[in-house]
Formats: sequence, C-alpha cells, structure tokens
Amino acid sequence: MNKELEHQFVTELENNQNIVHKVCTLYTNDRDSHNDLFQEITIQLWKAYPKFRGDSKFSTWMYRVALNTAITLYRKSKRRIKTQDYESVIFKIKAEEYDETEEQQLKLMYKAVKQLGDIDKALVFLYLEDKDYSEISETLGITEVNARVKMNRIKNKLRTILNP
Amino acid sequence: MDELELLKKDWQNKEEHLPKLSYEEIYTMIWKKSSSIVKWILIISILELIIPNLFYLSPSVREDIVFGSGIFNTVYMSFTTLYYGVVIYFIFQFYRRYKEISVLDSSKNLMRKIIRVRKTVKHYIIFCLSMTLVFFVIFIFGIYLDDSLLLSIDGVSEKLDEVPLEKFKTMASLVIAIGGIVVVGLLGGIYFLLYGLLLRKLNRNYKELKRLEV
Repeated sequence: MNKELEHQFVTELENNQNIVHKVCTLYTNDRDSHNDLFQEITIQLWKAYPKFRGDSKFSTWMYRVALNTAITLYRKSKRRIKTQDYESVIFKIKAEEYDETEEQQLKLMYKAVKQLGDIDKALVFLYLEDKDYSEISETLGITEVNARVKMNRIKNKLRTILNP
Repeated sequence: MDELELLKKDWQNKEEHLPKLSYEEIYTMIWKKSSSIVKWILIISILELIIPNLFYLSPSVREDIVFGSGIFNTVYMSFTTLYYGVVIYFIFQFYRRYKEISVLDSSKNLMRKIIRVRKTVKHYIIFCLSMTLVFFVIFIFGIYLDDSLLLSIDGVSEKLDEVPLEKFKTMASLVIAIGGIVVVGLLGGIYFLLYGLLLRKLNRNYKELKRLEV
C-alpha cells in the first residue's frame, strides 16, 4: 500500500516537476539554493500527499504547496546571494536599458521580476502560469479585487524598474 | 503594449531549459528531513517547554529552594501548583494550534496560523519570565518575613557573626533583585532575538498580505 503511494507520488511529481522548478527559479539565485528549495517543496508535497484526494488536479494542488513553501516555510540556508552578484544585476540593467530588441527586453523583464518581493513574485508567477484571478486570490488568501489591484501595482512597479 | 504579456509568452516556452530530475532523484528526496520554519518552531518550542522545567525539577535546585517550613513554603507550594497548571494549559494550546498548520491552506491562512503558534510560545515565555521575577520577589519577601529561610542556606549563620542580620537581609535582597532582573532580561533578549531572526521573512510577507486587505 505504502509502496504504491510512494510510486504514485513520485511518478506524478516527475511528470509535473516543471512547476516546482519554475518556482525555484523565481525564488532562488543559484543552483544549490534551487536544489535546496526543490527538495523542501518535495518533502512538503509528500507530507501533504495523503490529504490529496484527487478532487482537484495534482498540478493545481502543487502550485499551492510549492508557493507556500517558497514564501512561508522555506528558510534560506547559508548559501545567500553575494552582494556583488546583486549589484552586477542592477548595473547590467542600467547599461542595457536603451536596447529595444525583444530579447533584451525579456532579459530585463526577468531581472526586474527577480527584484520583486516574495508576495509580488507569487502573483507574477501565477499570472505567467495563466491562472485566473479567482485562483490567484484563493491561493494567496486575498480577495479577487485585491489581487487585481496588487497585480496592477506590480505592473507599474515593473515599469518603473524597467524605465527609471 | 503590456510587457508582462511578452514575458508570459516566453515563460511558457521556457520549459525545455528547466532542469529535469529523474524518478530516483525525486524518490530519494522524499526521505530527506525537512528544514522548514514550522519544524524549527516545534524544536525550539519543545526545548523552551522542557528547559525551564528541567531547572525546577532537578533535585539539587529543589532542595535549595524548598527551605524548612513556614509561610514561605506554603506560598512556594501554591506557586508551583499554579505554575504547572499553566504550563499544561500552554502545552495543550500549543499542540492544538500546531496541528492546525497545513501547507494546503492559502498563504495568508498558513502564515496566520504559524504566527498564532508562535504567539502561544511567546505568551508562554512571557509567563515563565514573569514567574521567575515573581519567584525572586517572593524570595525577597521570604527573607524579611521568615529568618529560617536565610539561615537554612549553607554558610549564612557563620557570616551573621560578622554582619548584623538586618543589614545582611538588605544586602541579600539587593543581590537577588539585581540577579533576577539580569537573568530575566538575558533570557528574554535571547528569546526575542531568536524568533525575530527566524520569522523575519514570514512577518514581512504576512504584513504585506494583510496590508492588501485594508
């Protein structure tokens, strides 16, 4: 029975691991922290798995656990981004800001998103994953109206980061 | 045009650049130990519940504290009974709230419940520290009301040949009062620093979600 559950879980996670990797990409800055967070999310998913009844899709359920782990439960280990790395990111943004090509714009966007706070990142993540506002609001525990307001603020924030 | 829309298109095509873990790699991960803050709170809280009580329960400390008989002893006994009653209440409350924490909740609820658990522990600590202060106060009163209390401490009767009893009482009270404040201040400082660091991120994120609701 237990073996079966393990097998079922690992297979589901293996098939849906992209969701977790994306969360890790957004919330960490290097490979070690990425793996560290991935592992913590996996543990949390596994611990909660017996409560997963299958009334929603496995992937839907994963979004919530993964984000909750990233913004609430996860404690950064000693591996922190060095101040130097962070400064170079800002420096690069300033140097490249006049470049108009789509490729460059995207690069800047990713960097700008990385600079957002934890909650803002969660909203952006769900938005990029094409979740509607009702799902975003349910996941984070805020009202739909507030989710929209917040999203607009984030868009403005991103705009200022991109065009200071 | 909306910059985010551009990003969204690209984001959804990014999948092939993501790392890919094998079945085996994921399988080994599910047996690793979690290092989540909830786990840390549990560990620290259990230590906090145990340590002060170990101190009270250790036989040598007990013998030193329970002096002879008299008013002091009666006060001390009722004080201890009250203390354990409250400790049991806190353990029960802590367990109930801890059980409510679920990673399947919405982020805001999850954070709220973690903060509630922490509040229980915080109240417990405040209770312990005030009890320690109260204990020191009772002790000082005991010295004034009941001479046998002071005399029961080893070496005191010899000292009394040199110093008059009244003067000695005042000195002892002063030392105990200062000692009490220092001990309580130190323990409180360590505690709040520990939790402040542990929950800094959580508090910040929770405040941000709360602010949205105004």
